[in-house]
Amino acid sequence: MVKRIRDWLEVRIGLDELIRQNLTEYRVPKHINLFHALGAVAVVGYVIQVITGICLLIYYIPHADHAFRSVQDIMTKVPYGWLFRQMHVVGSNLLITAVLLHMVTIFLMGNYKRPRELTWVSGGMLLIITLGFGLSGYLLPWTQLSYWATTVVTSIPTAFPVVGDFFTRLLRGGNYVTGITLTRFFAVHVSILPPLFVLFIALHIALIRRIGLSATPFGKSDEEKRPLTEYRKKTHPHGHPYYPYLFQRQVLMGIMYFIVMFAIVTFAPTFFFPEEATVPADAFQTPENIRPEWYLLAPYQMLKLIPNKFLGILMQIILLAVFIFWPFLDTHKEKNILKRPILRGVFIVIMISLVILMWWGRR
Amino acid sequence: MRRRTFLRSLLAVCGTLSFASFAYPLLRFLAPPGDTDKEKKVTLAKKDIPVGTSRVVLFDQKPVIVINHQEKGFIALSKVCTHLGCLVEFNPATDILLCPCHAGTYDLEGNVLSGPPPRPLAKIPFKVEGEQLVIG
Repeated sequence: MVKRIRDWLEVRIGLDELIRQNLTEYRVPKHINLFHALGAVAVVGYVIQVITGICLLIYYIPHADHAFRSVQDIMTKVPYGWLFRQMHVVGSNLLITAVLLHMVTIFLMGNYKRPRELTWVSGGMLLIITLGFGLSGYLLPWTQLSYWATTVVTSIPTAFPVVGDFFTRLLRGGNYVTGITLTRFFAVHVSILPPLFVLFIALHIALIRRIGLSATPFGKSDEEKRPLTEYRKKTHPHGHPYYPYLFQRQVLMGIMYFIVMFAIVTFAPTFFFPEEATVPADAFQTPENIRPEWYLLAPYQMLKLIPNKFLGILMQIILLAVFIFWPFLDTHKEKNILKRPILRGVFIVIMISLVILMWWGRR
Repeated sequence: MRRRTFLRSLLAVCGTLSFASFAYPLLRFLAPPGDTDKEKKVTLAKKDIPVGTSRVVLFDQKPVIVINHQEKGFIALSKVCTHLGCLVEFNPATDILLCPCHAGTYDLEGNVLSGPPPRPLAKIPFKVEGEQLVIG
């Protein structure tokens, strides 16, 4: 029976050829490690978000009068509603962690260099889209935390003269965060960001497939210690087949992702739910000690420290632009960061600064 | 002008106009105009705000804090922090208005004392009419 189905598919879609081309004959470099599987982990994370998001969509009501209640009902009345919501919330945080780790490891291995600049930029756009998912989804439970975090974020354009107020009104659908903002963010979360995400992930994967998987610059026998200067698809004839060599590592990292997620859901269910996240939104009371999510703590603390609003926000936009377009700024031929003491030093200083800002912002 | 150049220019102008004819309504659709209907005056009884206390009222769709200060009498300020729009809280012990989001502080005149707010808090006009406070 299985053979008959296989034969039927073989005639119509060339199944054997597909498997050969994409799994067993698709070669990956010899010197790859677990960090090469982080991109696949991020894809697993996105799939979890889509499935749990659709589950939540069935019960969630995107209206200011009902949103908070409907989320509470999902948590308390809908069978296993708590599980899907916890997976969605914890998953969103883990997903951002996976994407950030993926980008940091790509940075450390110098794999953003020519000809992979656009792969990095498309990855950066995916990071921004992921943060967009986080921010737009944050308002949907209509809690004190979500309301005031959205107020702060949507006030950011007001730092810019002339067009600032217009963009803030565009985001909010009025002068303040109201039910109109909620429906707007809901529309962005479920119907505007998903197609954008699909577009960029398709571009990202197409670029990886076209140029070939990047090797680490640390191995002795790797041919790729210097960036490529002309198009040459890296088929890695002396490398390993993708299946099972890299596939096993990706499965292992995917399992690790699930382990971390369910460990948090089981043993620390309130880890991503501070007190303000359980109180309905009140437009007349900003809660004391309000803090953003961990991945926004460093920008949050910077905004507190820089006394000028315009400068504070402009600096964050410049830093983000530098990060996204870094491959065009770093034109040094050496890929190995161990042989680049200045870049290594700058990287360490930035990492330490981020940790200090996050710790400071948390206090 | 060559016929080909003319047709290209015509196509560009028509294309731009067609795009603009869709883009403008879309932009107007997404960004509603600012509120035009100003709210009427808000009246408060003076006795509802004893000395040393404050009360929040909604005026012109904005939360306004009315403080009855022992020395300065009644003060009415917008509660909306000029940094990123959180609502300030009045601390009667220190006579300071503090924004809980990014720790901006203001004095009772609304002037910035510390932190990132770029402007003072908006002063809200009010009148005392007998036993009533009329905001606006």
